[in-house]
Amino acid sequence: MPLVVVCYKWVLDEADIRINADLSIDLSKAKGKISDYDKNAIEAAVQAAAALNGKVAGLTFGTADAKPSLKDALSRGMDEAWYINEPQASQADGAGTARVLAAAIKKMADVSLIICAEGASDTYARQTGPRIGALLDLPVVTSVGKLEISGNTLIATRVLDDCLQKVKVELPAVVAVLPEITSAPIPGLKAVLAAGKKPVTELKAQDLGVDLTPKSRVTEIKGYMMDRKNIIFNEGETAERVNNLVAALRKEGVV
Amino acid sequence: MAGIYIFSDRADIAAEIVGFARAAGKEAFVMALGEEAAQALTNAGADKIYAIDGDSELIESYAKDIAEFLIKAGAELFAVGATPRGRDLAARVAGYLDCAMASDVVSVEYHDNQLTCVRMLYGGAVQEKQVLSGLSVVTIPAGKFEPAQGESTIEALKLKADTRVSIVETAPIVKEGVDLSKAEKVVCVGMALDKEEDLQIARDLAAVLGAELGCTRSIAEERHWLPVESYIGISGAVIKPRLYISMGVSGQIQHVYGIRDANLIVAIDINEKAPIFKAADYGIVGDLYEVVPLLTEALKK
Ligand SMILES: Cc1cc2nc3c(=O)[nH]c(=O)nc-3n(C[C@H](O)[C@H](O)[C@H](O)COP(=O)(O)OP(=O)(O)OC[C@H]3O[C@@H](n4cnc5c(N)ncnc54)[C@H](O)[C@@H]3O)c2cc1C
Repeated sequence: MPLVVVCYKWVLDEADIRINADLSIDLSKAKGKISDYDKNAIEAAVQAAAALNGKVAGLTFGTADAKPSLKDALSRGMDEAWYINEPQASQADGAGTARVLAAAIKKMADVSLIICAEGASDTYARQTGPRIGALLDLPVVTSVGKLEISGNTLIATRVLDDCLQKVKVELPAVVAVLPEITSAPIPGLKAVLAAGKKPVTELKAQDLGVDLTPKSRVTEIKGYMMDRKNIIFNEGETAERVNNLVAALRKEGVV
Repeated sequence: MAGIYIFSDRADIAAEIVGFARAAGKEAFVMALGEEAAQALTNAGADKIYAIDGDSELIESYAKDIAEFLIKAGAELFAVGATPRGRDLAARVAGYLDCAMASDVVSVEYHDNQLTCVRMLYGGAVQEKQVLSGLSVVTIPAGKFEPAQGESTIEALKLKADTRVSIVETAPIVKEGVDLSKAEKVVCVGMALDKEEDLQIARDLAAVLGAELGCTRSIAEERHWLPVESYIGISGAVIKPRLYISMGVSGQIQHVYGIRDANLIVAIDINEKAPIFKAADYGIVGDLYEVVPLLTEALKK
Protein backbone atom coordinates (compact mmCIF):
# COMPACT_ATOMS: atom_id res chain seq x y z
CA MET A 1 0.00 0.00 0.00
CA PRO A 2 1.47 3.38 -0.99
CA LEU A 3 2.67 5.45 1.94
CA VAL A 4 2.50 9.25 2.15
CA VAL A 5 5.04 10.62 4.62
CA VAL A 6 4.41 14.05 6.08
CA CYS A 7 7.18 15.78 8.04
CA TYR A 8 6.23 18.11 10.85
CA LYS A 9 8.05 20.06 13.54
CA TRP A 10 7.20 20.80 17.14
CA VAL A 11 8.12 24.45 17.75
CA LEU A 12 7.81 27.04 20.48
CA ASP A 13 4.94 29.46 20.00
CA GLU A 14 6.53 32.71 18.84
CA ALA A 15 3.73 34.71 20.46
CA ASP A 16 4.95 33.55 23.91
CA ILE A 17 8.56 34.69 23.50
CA ARG A 18 9.53 37.55 25.78
CA ILE A 19 12.37 39.90 24.95
CA ASN A 20 14.24 41.28 27.97
CA ALA A 21 15.48 44.86 28.15
CA ASP A 22 19.04 43.71 27.33
CA LEU A 23 17.61 41.95 24.23
CA SER A 24 18.22 38.51 25.68
CA ILE A 25 15.33 36.17 25.04
CA ASP A 26 13.10 34.47 27.57
CA LEU A 27 11.59 31.22 26.34
CA SER A 28 10.44 30.06 29.78
CA LYS A 29 6.79 30.96 29.15
CA ALA A 30 6.72 29.62 25.61
CA LYS A 31 4.42 26.67 24.94
CA GLY A 32 4.97 24.18 22.16
CA LYS A 33 2.81 23.68 19.09
CA ILE A 34 2.88 21.88 15.77
CA SER A 35 4.34 24.48 13.41
CA ASP A 36 1.38 26.36 11.91
CA TYR A 37 1.88 25.48 8.25
CA ASP A 38 2.66 21.84 9.06
CA LYS A 39 -0.99 21.43 10.05
CA ASN A 40 -2.01 22.32 6.50
CA ALA A 41 0.64 19.95 5.17
CA ILE A 42 -0.72 17.10 7.34
CA GLU A 43 -4.22 17.64 5.94
CA ALA A 44 -2.80 17.75 2.40
CA ALA A 45 -1.09 14.41 3.09
CA VAL A 46 -4.33 12.88 4.33
CA GLN A 47 -6.08 14.00 1.13
CA ALA A 48 -3.22 12.74 -1.06
CA ALA A 49 -3.28 9.35 0.67
CA ALA A 50 -7.01 9.09 -0.02
CA ALA A 51 -6.34 9.75 -3.71
CA LEU A 52 -3.61 7.09 -3.72
CA ASN A 53 -5.58 4.57 -1.67
CA GLY A 54 -2.67 4.65 0.71
CA LYS A 55 -1.77 5.48 4.27
CA VAL A 56 -0.16 8.44 6.01
CA ALA A 57 2.87 8.34 8.29
CA GLY A 58 3.81 11.47 10.22
CA LEU A 59 7.52 12.00 10.82
CA THR A 60 9.01 14.35 13.35
CA PHE A 61 12.53 15.00 14.61
CA GLY A 62 12.71 16.71 17.98
CA THR A 63 13.81 16.56 21.58
CA ALA A 64 11.86 14.85 24.37
CA ASP A 65 9.73 18.03 24.47
CA ALA A 66 8.16 17.02 21.15
CA LYS A 67 6.40 14.01 22.68
CA PRO A 68 3.06 15.84 23.16
CA SER A 69 3.02 16.53 19.42
CA LEU A 70 2.29 12.88 18.67
CA LYS A 71 -1.28 12.86 19.93
CA ASP A 72 -2.10 16.12 18.18
CA ALA A 73 -0.51 14.95 14.92
CA LEU A 74 -2.14 11.51 15.01
CA SER A 75 -5.56 13.04 15.65
CA ARG A 76 -5.22 14.88 12.34
CA GLY A 77 -5.87 11.77 10.29
CA MET A 78 -2.51 10.08 9.95
CA ASP A 79 -2.27 6.31 10.45
CA GLU A 80 1.05 6.13 12.27
CA ALA A 81 3.85 8.36 13.49
CA TRP A 82 7.63 8.14 13.50
CA TYR A 83 9.35 10.12 16.22
CA ILE A 84 13.10 10.65 16.14
CA ASN A 85 13.58 11.61 19.78
CA GLU A 86 17.01 13.16 20.07
CA PRO A 87 18.47 15.60 22.63
CA GLN A 88 20.74 17.02 19.91
CA ALA A 89 17.72 18.07 17.86
CA SER A 90 17.69 21.49 19.51
CA GLN A 91 21.13 22.25 18.03
CA ALA A 92 20.64 20.59 14.67
CA ASP A 93 20.98 22.70 11.53
CA GLY A 94 19.15 22.29 8.21
CA ALA A 95 21.69 19.76 6.95
CA GLY A 96 21.44 17.51 10.02
CA THR A 97 17.65 17.70 10.16
CA ALA A 98 17.32 16.65 6.54
CA ARG A 99 19.81 13.81 7.04
CA VAL A 100 17.80 12.42 9.96
CA LEU A 101 14.47 12.72 8.14
CA ALA A 102 15.84 11.15 4.95
CA ALA A 103 17.39 8.28 6.91
CA ALA A 104 14.06 7.62 8.66
CA ILE A 105 12.18 7.69 5.36
CA LYS A 106 14.60 5.08 3.99
CA LYS A 107 13.44 2.73 6.75
CA MET A 108 9.80 2.98 5.65
CA ALA A 109 8.30 0.68 3.04
CA ASP A 110 6.48 1.69 -0.13
CA VAL A 111 6.96 5.46 0.21
CA SER A 112 5.33 7.15 -2.75
CA LEU A 113 5.05 10.76 -1.64
CA ILE A 114 6.84 12.91 0.92
CA ILE A 115 5.13 16.14 1.92
CA CYS A 116 6.69 19.02 3.81
CA ALA A 117 5.25 22.44 4.55
CA GLU A 118 6.66 25.59 3.00
CA GLY A 119 8.68 26.34 6.12
CA ALA A 120 8.61 26.01 9.90
CA SER A 121 7.30 28.92 11.95
CA ASP A 122 10.51 29.10 14.03
CA THR A 123 13.34 28.97 11.48
CA TYR A 124 11.29 29.50 8.32
CA ALA A 125 14.35 28.37 6.37
CA ARG A 126 12.36 26.55 3.67
CA GLN A 127 15.16 24.01 3.15
CA THR A 128 13.85 20.71 4.48
CA GLY A 129 11.78 19.49 1.52
CA PRO A 130 14.39 20.19 -1.18
CA ARG A 131 17.21 18.85 1.00
CA ILE A 132 15.37 15.58 1.65
CA GLY A 133 14.75 15.29 -2.08
CA ALA A 134 18.45 15.76 -2.79
CA LEU A 135 19.56 13.28 -0.12
CA LEU A 136 17.18 10.63 -1.48
CA ASP A 137 17.83 11.79 -5.05
CA LEU A 138 14.08 12.10 -5.64
CA PRO A 139 12.34 14.71 -7.77
CA VAL A 140 11.20 17.77 -5.82
CA VAL A 141 8.35 20.23 -6.36
CA THR A 142 8.14 23.31 -4.09
CA SER A 143 5.77 26.27 -3.58
CA VAL A 144 2.83 24.04 -4.33
CA GLY A 145 -0.60 25.65 -4.06
CA LYS A 146 -2.57 22.79 -5.58
CA LEU A 147 -2.07 19.03 -5.90
CA GLU A 148 -3.85 16.58 -8.17
CA ILE A 149 -3.07 12.88 -8.26
CA SER A 150 -4.19 10.46 -10.90
CA GLY A 151 -2.76 6.97 -10.87
CA ASN A 152 0.92 7.38 -10.19
CA THR A 153 1.14 10.85 -11.70
CA LEU A 154 1.18 13.97 -9.62
CA ILE A 155 0.25 17.32 -11.12
CA ALA A 156 1.20 20.27 -8.96
CA THR A 157 0.51 23.96 -9.41
CA ARG A 158 3.44 26.02 -8.16
CA VAL A 159 2.88 29.60 -7.07
CA LEU A 160 5.96 31.51 -8.24
CA ASP A 161 6.72 35.25 -8.26
CA ASP A 162 5.82 35.76 -11.87
CA CYS A 163 3.61 32.81 -12.82
CA LEU A 164 1.51 29.87 -11.84
CA GLN A 165 3.45 26.88 -13.09
CA LYS A 166 1.78 23.53 -13.52
CA VAL A 167 4.25 20.64 -13.42
CA LYS A 168 4.00 16.90 -13.74
CA VAL A 169 5.99 14.17 -12.03
CA GLU A 170 5.76 10.41 -11.58
CA LEU A 171 5.81 9.27 -7.96
CA PRO A 172 7.77 8.89 -5.73
CA ALA A 173 8.51 12.56 -5.21
CA VAL A 174 8.99 15.21 -2.53
CA VAL A 175 6.52 18.07 -2.42
CA ALA A 176 6.67 21.27 -0.33
CA VAL A 177 3.19 22.74 -0.01
CA LEU A 178 2.03 26.27 0.74
CA PRO A 179 -0.47 26.62 3.60
CA GLU A 180 -3.09 27.78 1.11
CA ILE A 181 -3.22 24.25 -0.32
CA THR A 182 -5.94 23.28 2.13
CA SER A 183 -7.28 24.39 5.47
CA ALA A 184 -6.32 22.52 8.64
CA PRO A 185 -9.49 21.40 10.38
CA ILE A 186 -9.46 21.17 14.18
CA PRO A 187 -9.68 17.47 15.07
CA GLY A 188 -12.93 16.27 16.61
CA LEU A 189 -13.16 14.45 19.94
CA LYS A 190 -13.41 11.03 18.32
CA ALA A 191 -10.24 11.62 16.32
CA VAL A 192 -8.42 12.75 19.45
CA LEU A 193 -9.47 9.61 21.32
CA ALA A 194 -8.49 7.34 18.43
CA ALA A 195 -5.06 9.00 18.21
CA GLY A 196 -3.90 7.38 21.43
CA LYS A 197 -4.25 3.90 19.88
CA LYS A 198 -2.25 4.56 16.71
CA PRO A 199 1.27 3.10 16.39
CA VAL A 200 4.35 5.21 17.07
CA THR A 201 7.88 4.19 16.09
CA GLU A 202 10.42 5.92 18.29
CA LEU A 203 14.09 6.07 17.29
CA LYS A 204 17.28 7.93 18.13
CA ALA A 205 19.46 9.64 15.54
CA GLN A 206 22.08 7.03 16.44
CA ASP A 207 19.73 4.20 15.39
CA LEU A 208 19.71 5.82 11.97
CA GLY A 209 23.47 6.18 11.88
CA VAL A 210 23.29 9.93 11.41
CA ASP A 211 25.97 12.33 12.60
CA LEU A 212 24.37 15.57 13.74
CA THR A 213 27.41 17.80 14.02
CA PRO A 214 26.14 21.15 12.66
CA LYS A 215 27.81 22.62 9.59
CA SER A 216 27.12 26.15 10.81
CA ARG A 217 27.95 27.69 14.15
CA VAL A 218 25.56 30.05 15.92
CA THR A 219 27.55 32.90 17.45
CA GLU A 220 24.83 35.19 18.75
CA ILE A 221 21.11 35.15 19.49
CA LYS A 222 19.22 38.26 20.48
CA GLY A 223 15.68 39.54 20.55
CA TYR A 224 14.27 42.28 18.41
CA MET A 225 12.48 45.14 20.07
CA MET A 226 10.62 47.97 18.43
CA ASP A 227 10.63 51.39 19.95
CA ARG A 228 7.22 52.95 19.27
CA LYS A 229 5.15 55.66 20.93
CA ASN A 230 2.24 53.34 21.85
CA ILE A 231 -0.30 56.16 22.24
CA ILE A 232 -3.63 54.34 22.10
CA PHE A 233 -6.98 56.16 22.14
CA ASN A 234 -9.43 53.86 23.86
CA GLU A 235 -11.73 56.14 25.79
CA GLY A 236 -14.59 58.49 24.96
CA GLU A 237 -16.91 58.60 21.96
CA THR A 238 -15.65 57.14 18.71
CA ALA A 239 -15.75 60.57 17.07
CA GLU A 240 -13.54 61.96 19.83
CA ARG A 241 -11.00 59.14 19.40
CA VAL A 242 -10.92 59.80 15.69
CA ASN A 243 -10.39 63.53 16.24
CA ASN A 244 -7.56 62.83 18.67
CA LEU A 245 -5.89 60.61 16.11
CA VAL A 246 -6.30 63.13 13.30
CA ALA A 247 -4.79 65.85 15.51
CA ALA A 248 -1.82 63.60 16.29
CA LEU A 249 -1.27 62.72 12.62
CA ARG A 250 -1.38 66.40 11.65
CA LYS A 251 1.18 67.18 14.33
CA GLU A 252 3.40 64.39 13.00
CA GLY A 253 3.10 65.99 9.58
CA VAL A 254 1.98 62.80 7.81
CA VAL A 255 -1.47 64.02 6.72
CA MET B 1 38.30 28.98 -9.80
CA ALA B 2 37.56 29.95 -6.19
CA GLY B 3 35.08 32.74 -5.71
CA ILE B 4 31.37 33.28 -5.34
CA TYR B 5 28.97 31.57 -7.72
CA ILE B 6 25.68 33.37 -8.15
CA PHE B 7 22.24 32.54 -9.45
CA SER B 8 19.02 34.49 -9.50
CA ASP B 9 16.00 34.26 -11.75
CA ARG B 10 15.82 38.03 -11.24
CA ALA B 11 18.58 39.95 -13.01
CA ASP B 12 18.40 42.82 -10.50
CA ILE B 13 19.12 40.50 -7.55
CA ALA B 14 21.96 38.79 -9.45
CA ALA B 15 23.61 42.19 -9.99
CA GLU B 16 23.18 43.01 -6.30
CA ILE B 17 24.84 39.76 -5.27
CA VAL B 18 27.74 40.54 -7.63
CA GLY B 19 27.88 43.85 -5.72
CA PHE B 20 28.22 41.88 -2.48
CA ALA B 21 31.01 39.73 -3.93
CA ARG B 22 32.86 42.79 -5.20
CA ALA B 23 32.57 44.56 -1.84
CA ALA B 24 33.99 41.43 -0.19
CA GLY B 25 36.89 41.45 -2.68
CA LYS B 26 35.86 38.14 -4.21
CA GLU B 27 35.52 36.95 -7.75
CA ALA B 28 31.93 36.71 -8.98
CA PHE B 29 30.61 34.15 -11.45
CA VAL B 30 26.98 34.40 -12.45
CA MET B 31 24.98 31.43 -13.72
CA ALA B 32 21.93 31.86 -15.93
CA LEU B 33 19.58 29.38 -17.56
CA GLY B 34 19.89 29.81 -21.30
CA GLU B 35 21.50 32.34 -23.61
CA GLU B 36 18.72 34.93 -23.30
CA ALA B 37 18.87 35.08 -19.51
CA ALA B 38 22.66 35.30 -19.75
CA GLN B 39 22.42 38.22 -22.19
CA ALA B 40 20.31 40.14 -19.67
CA LEU B 41 23.22 39.94 -17.23
CA THR B 42 26.11 41.10 -19.40
CA ASN B 43 26.26 44.44 -17.62
CA ALA B 44 26.07 43.10 -14.07
CA GLY B 45 29.81 43.31 -13.41
CA ALA B 46 30.53 39.58 -13.13
CA ASP B 47 33.91 38.05 -13.93
CA LYS B 48 32.10 35.62 -16.15
CA ILE B 49 28.59 34.53 -16.99
CA TYR B 50 27.83 30.86 -17.44
CA ALA B 51 24.89 30.25 -19.75
CA ILE B 52 23.53 26.88 -18.71
CA ASP B 53 22.57 24.71 -21.64
CA GLY B 54 20.58 21.56 -20.95
CA ASP B 55 17.35 19.63 -21.29
CA SER B 56 15.08 21.39 -18.81
CA GLU B 57 13.45 24.81 -18.54
CA LEU B 58 13.45 24.41 -14.76
CA ILE B 59 16.63 25.73 -13.16
CA GLU B 60 15.85 23.66 -10.05
CA SER B 61 16.32 20.51 -12.12
CA TYR B 62 20.05 21.22 -12.53
CA ALA B 63 20.75 21.13 -8.78
CA LYS B 64 22.76 17.91 -8.80
CA ASP B 65 24.98 18.95 -11.68
CA ILE B 66 25.40 22.46 -10.30
CA ALA B 67 26.56 20.94 -7.00
CA GLU B 68 29.19 18.91 -8.86
CA PHE B 69 30.22 21.92 -10.93
CA LEU B 70 30.71 24.02 -7.77
CA ILE B 71 32.99 21.39 -6.27
CA LYS B 72 35.05 21.09 -9.45
CA ALA B 73 35.29 24.87 -9.74
CA GLY B 74 36.51 25.12 -6.14
CA ALA B 75 33.72 27.56 -5.33
CA GLU B 76 33.65 29.02 -1.82
CA LEU B 77 30.02 30.12 -1.83
CA PHE B 78 26.84 29.59 -3.85
CA ALA B 79 24.79 32.77 -3.37
CA VAL B 80 21.26 32.69 -4.71
CA GLY B 81 18.50 35.28 -4.94
CA ALA B 82 15.75 34.52 -2.41
CA THR B 83 12.81 33.93 -4.75
CA PRO B 84 10.69 30.75 -4.85
CA ARG B 85 12.82 29.22 -7.65
CA GLY B 86 16.05 30.41 -6.03
CA ARG B 87 15.21 29.01 -2.60
CA ASP B 88 14.35 25.65 -4.11
CA LEU B 89 17.52 25.43 -6.20
CA ALA B 90 19.73 26.64 -3.33
CA ALA B 91 18.36 24.14 -0.81
CA ARG B 92 18.63 21.26 -3.27
CA VAL B 93 22.24 22.16 -4.09
CA ALA B 94 22.93 22.39 -0.33
CA GLY B 95 21.32 18.95 0.01
CA TYR B 96 23.52 17.41 -2.69
CA LEU B 97 26.58 19.06 -1.15
CA ASP B 98 25.33 18.21 2.37
CA CYS B 99 26.69 21.61 3.39
CA ALA B 100 25.72 24.59 5.53
CA MET B 101 23.07 26.96 4.26
CA ALA B 102 21.61 30.23 5.55
CA SER B 103 18.21 31.15 4.10
CA ASP B 104 16.83 34.61 3.44
CA VAL B 105 19.61 36.38 5.28
CA VAL B 106 19.10 39.80 6.84
CA SER B 107 22.80 40.43 6.33
CA VAL B 108 25.79 38.53 5.03
CA GLU B 109 29.43 39.55 5.23
CA TYR B 110 32.93 38.21 5.43
CA HIS B 111 34.32 38.94 8.84
CA ASP B 112 37.99 37.93 9.24
CA ASN B 113 37.41 35.93 6.07
CA GLN B 114 34.63 33.98 7.80
CA LEU B 115 31.20 34.02 6.24
CA THR B 116 28.88 35.56 8.82
CA CYS B 117 25.11 35.68 8.31
CA VAL B 118 22.28 37.16 10.34
CA ARG B 119 18.80 35.77 9.95
CA MET B 120 15.43 36.02 11.64
CA LEU B 121 13.80 33.34 13.77
CA TYR B 122 10.30 33.08 15.19
CA GLY B 123 8.73 35.33 12.59
CA GLY B 124 11.17 38.12 13.36
CA ALA B 125 11.13 38.08 17.19
CA VAL B 126 14.68 36.77 17.36
CA GLN B 127 17.87 37.44 15.36
CA GLU B 128 20.48 34.76 14.96
CA LYS B 129 24.05 35.27 13.85
CA GLN B 130 25.85 32.27 12.40
CA VAL B 131 29.21 31.48 10.88
CA LEU B 132 29.26 29.11 7.93
CA SER B 133 32.41 27.21 7.08
CA GLY B 134 33.48 25.36 3.98
CA LEU B 135 31.63 25.54 0.69
CA SER B 136 28.24 26.96 1.74
CA VAL B 137 24.97 28.20 0.31
CA VAL B 138 23.05 31.39 1.12
CA THR B 139 19.86 32.92 -0.24
CA ILE B 140 19.77 36.71 -0.34
CA PRO B 141 16.60 38.80 -0.70
CA ALA B 142 16.34 41.76 -3.09
CA GLY B 143 17.63 45.15 -2.04
CA LYS B 144 20.47 44.08 0.27
CA PHE B 145 23.38 45.37 -1.84
CA GLU B 146 24.19 48.00 -4.42
CA PRO B 147 24.14 46.34 -7.84
CA ALA B 148 27.50 45.99 -9.56
CA GLN B 149 28.09 47.18 -13.11
CA GLY B 150 30.53 46.39 -15.86
CA GLU B 151 30.63 44.20 -18.90
CA SER B 152 31.26 40.50 -18.81
CA THR B 153 31.53 37.69 -21.28
CA ILE B 154 29.33 34.65 -21.61
CA GLU B 155 30.55 31.07 -21.62
CA ALA B 156 28.26 28.16 -22.42
CA LEU B 157 27.99 25.53 -19.70
CA LYS B 158 26.55 22.15 -20.61
CA LEU B 159 24.79 20.63 -17.62
CA LYS B 160 22.67 17.57 -17.14
CA ALA B 161 19.13 18.13 -15.91
CA ASP B 162 16.90 15.86 -13.87
CA THR B 163 13.97 15.66 -16.26
CA ARG B 164 11.62 13.81 -13.95
CA VAL B 165 9.67 17.03 -13.31
CA SER B 166 8.29 18.68 -16.45
CA ILE B 167 6.22 21.79 -17.11
CA VAL B 168 2.65 21.20 -18.23
CA GLU B 169 1.62 24.81 -18.52
CA THR B 170 2.51 28.29 -17.34
CA ALA B 171 0.08 31.07 -16.57
CA PRO B 172 1.78 34.41 -16.05
CA ILE B 173 0.68 36.33 -12.96
CA VAL B 174 -0.30 39.79 -14.11
CA LYS B 175 0.99 42.20 -11.51
CA GLU B 176 -2.08 44.23 -10.66
CA GLY B 177 -0.82 45.73 -7.46
CA VAL B 178 1.81 48.35 -6.97
CA ASP B 179 5.28 47.98 -5.58
CA LEU B 180 4.45 48.54 -1.92
CA SER B 181 8.12 48.70 -0.98
CA LYS B 182 8.25 52.12 -2.59
CA ALA B 183 4.90 53.46 -1.29
CA GLU B 184 4.85 56.65 0.80
CA LYS B 185 1.66 55.70 2.62
CA VAL B 186 -0.05 52.35 3.05
CA VAL B 187 -3.50 51.42 4.33
CA CYS B 188 -3.52 47.76 5.39
CA VAL B 189 -6.58 45.54 5.80
CA GLY B 190 -6.80 42.34 7.80
CA MET B 191 -9.14 39.42 8.25
CA ALA B 192 -11.63 41.54 10.21
CA LEU B 193 -13.33 42.55 6.95
CA ASP B 194 -16.52 40.53 6.58
CA LYS B 195 -16.84 40.65 2.82
CA GLU B 196 -14.91 41.70 -0.23
CA GLU B 197 -17.14 44.74 -0.91
CA ASP B 198 -16.03 46.14 2.45
CA LEU B 199 -12.60 46.78 0.93
CA GLN B 200 -14.27 49.99 -0.27
CA ILE B 201 -13.99 51.37 3.27
CA ALA B 202 -10.23 50.96 3.06
CA ARG B 203 -10.08 52.27 -0.50
CA ASP B 204 -11.93 55.43 0.56
CA LEU B 205 -9.44 56.07 3.35
CA ALA B 206 -6.52 55.34 1.02
CA ALA B 207 -7.93 57.80 -1.51
CA VAL B 208 -8.02 60.75 0.92
CA LEU B 209 -4.55 59.92 2.16
CA GLY B 210 -3.06 59.24 -1.26
CA ALA B 211 -2.09 55.81 0.08
CA GLU B 212 -1.69 52.39 -1.51
CA LEU B 213 -3.71 49.41 -0.30
CA GLY B 214 -1.96 46.50 1.39
CA CYS B 215 -3.18 43.49 3.38
CA THR B 216 -2.23 40.55 5.54
CA ARG B 217 -1.24 37.21 4.05
CA SER B 218 -4.62 35.54 4.60
CA ILE B 219 -6.50 38.27 2.71
CA ALA B 220 -4.34 37.62 -0.36
CA GLU B 221 -3.59 33.91 -0.14
CA GLU B 222 -6.77 32.47 1.37
CA ARG B 223 -9.47 34.92 0.32
CA HIS B 224 -7.75 36.14 -2.87
CA TRP B 225 -9.31 39.60 -2.39
CA LEU B 226 -6.07 41.41 -3.25
CA PRO B 227 -3.13 40.33 -5.40
CA VAL B 228 -0.33 38.39 -3.72
CA GLU B 229 2.14 41.26 -4.05
CA SER B 230 -0.14 43.29 -1.76
CA TYR B 231 0.51 41.29 1.35
CA ILE B 232 2.98 42.58 3.87
CA GLY B 233 5.25 40.58 6.15
CA ILE B 234 8.11 38.15 6.46
CA SER B 235 6.91 36.08 3.51
CA GLY B 236 5.50 39.06 1.59
CA ALA B 237 6.41 42.69 1.03
CA VAL B 238 8.73 44.49 3.41
CA ILE B 239 7.78 48.17 3.37
CA LYS B 240 9.08 51.46 4.72
CA PRO B 241 6.37 54.07 4.21
CA ARG B 242 6.10 57.38 6.08
CA LEU B 243 2.66 56.28 7.26
CA TYR B 244 1.11 52.83 7.73
CA ILE B 245 -2.49 52.52 8.96
CA SER B 246 -3.94 49.10 9.70
CA MET B 247 -7.55 48.14 10.22
CA GLY B 248 -8.54 44.81 11.70
CA VAL B 249 -4.99 43.45 11.61
CA SER B 250 -4.04 41.57 14.77
CA GLY B 251 -0.35 42.29 14.33
CA GLN B 252 1.17 38.83 14.53
CA ILE B 253 4.95 38.95 14.49
CA GLN B 254 5.20 37.67 10.90
CA HIS B 255 3.15 40.58 9.63
CA VAL B 256 4.84 43.20 11.82
CA TYR B 257 8.22 42.14 10.44
CA GLY B 258 7.19 43.77 7.17
CA ILE B 259 6.46 47.20 8.71
CA ARG B 260 9.38 47.59 11.10
CA ASP B 261 10.94 50.34 9.07
CA ALA B 262 7.72 52.34 8.70
CA ASN B 263 8.17 55.85 9.98
CA LEU B 264 4.77 55.98 11.71
CA ILE B 265 2.52 53.02 12.52
CA VAL B 266 -1.18 53.56 13.24
CA ALA B 267 -3.53 50.72 14.21
CA ILE B 268 -7.30 50.41 14.38
CA ASP B 269 -8.56 47.24 16.04
CA ILE B 270 -11.53 46.25 18.15
CA ASN B 271 -9.45 44.25 20.59
CA GLU B 272 -7.36 46.42 22.89
CA LYS B 273 -5.10 43.42 23.57
CA ALA B 274 -4.25 42.92 19.88
CA PRO B 275 -0.45 42.75 19.51
CA ILE B 276 -0.58 45.39 16.78
CA PHE B 277 -0.97 48.09 19.47
CA LYS B 278 2.45 47.18 20.91
CA ALA B 279 3.93 47.83 17.47
CA ALA B 280 1.98 51.07 16.93
CA ASP B 281 2.79 54.72 17.47
CA TYR B 282 -0.90 55.61 17.55
CA GLY B 283 -3.98 53.49 17.78
CA ILE B 284 -7.72 53.55 18.13
CA VAL B 285 -9.52 50.74 19.91
CA GLY B 286 -12.82 50.39 18.10
CA ASP B 287 -14.92 48.81 15.38
CA LEU B 288 -13.34 49.58 12.03
CA TYR B 289 -16.76 49.80 10.40
CA GLU B 290 -17.44 52.76 12.65
CA VAL B 291 -13.96 54.26 13.03
CA VAL B 292 -12.67 54.22 9.48
CA PRO B 293 -15.53 56.10 7.76
CA LEU B 294 -15.31 58.77 10.49
CA LEU B 295 -11.55 58.98 10.01
CA THR B 296 -11.96 59.33 6.24
CA GLU B 297 -14.47 62.16 6.75
CA ALA B 298 -12.29 63.94 9.31
CA LEU B 299 -9.29 63.81 6.98
CA LYS B 300 -11.30 65.35 4.16
CA LYS B 301 -11.64 68.54 6.18
C1 LIG C 1 5.86 31.02 8.73
C2 LIG C 1 4.77 32.05 8.70
C3 LIG C 1 4.89 33.15 7.87
C4 LIG C 1 3.89 34.12 7.83
N1 LIG C 1 4.06 35.21 7.03
C5 LIG C 1 3.13 36.20 7.06
C6 LIG C 1 3.31 37.40 6.29
O1 LIG C 1 4.31 37.58 5.59
N2 LIG C 1 2.34 38.35 6.36
C7 LIG C 1 1.21 38.21 7.13
O2 LIG C 1 0.37 39.13 7.16
N3 LIG C 1 1.01 37.10 7.86
C8 LIG C 1 1.94 36.09 7.84
N4 LIG C 1 1.73 34.96 8.58
C9 LIG C 1 0.42 34.80 9.25
C10 LIG C 1 0.34 35.55 10.57
O3 LIG C 1 0.87 34.74 11.60
C11 LIG C 1 -1.12 35.89 10.94
O4 LIG C 1 -1.87 34.70 10.91
C12 LIG C 1 -1.76 36.88 10.00
O5 LIG C 1 -0.95 38.00 9.79
C13 LIG C 1 -3.06 37.35 10.63
O6 LIG C 1 -3.78 38.13 9.71
P1 LIG C 1 -4.86 39.18 10.22
O7 LIG C 1 -4.25 40.12 11.17
O8 LIG C 1 -5.47 39.74 8.99
O9 LIG C 1 -5.98 38.28 10.89
P2 LIG C 1 -6.32 37.99 12.41
O10 LIG C 1 -5.13 37.56 13.17
O11 LIG C 1 -7.50 37.11 12.38
O12 LIG C 1 -6.71 39.40 13.01
C14 LIG C 1 -7.90 40.05 12.78
C15 LIG C 1 -7.98 41.26 13.71
O13 LIG C 1 -9.14 41.99 13.44
C16 LIG C 1 -9.70 42.45 14.65
N5 LIG C 1 -11.12 42.72 14.40
C17 LIG C 1 -12.14 41.85 14.19
N6 LIG C 1 -13.29 42.51 13.92
C18 LIG C 1 -12.99 43.84 13.94
C19 LIG C 1 -13.75 45.03 13.71
N7 LIG C 1 -15.04 44.99 13.40
N8 LIG C 1 -13.11 46.21 13.79
C20 LIG C 1 -11.78 46.27 14.10
N9 LIG C 1 -11.02 45.18 14.32
C21 LIG C 1 -11.62 43.98 14.24
C22 LIG C 1 -9.43 41.35 15.65
O14 LIG C 1 -9.45 41.89 16.96
C23 LIG C 1 -8.02 40.90 15.21
O15 LIG C 1 -7.03 41.64 15.89
C24 LIG C 1 2.72 33.98 8.63
C25 LIG C 1 2.60 32.87 9.48
C26 LIG C 1 3.61 31.91 9.52
C27 LIG C 1 3.44 30.74 10.45
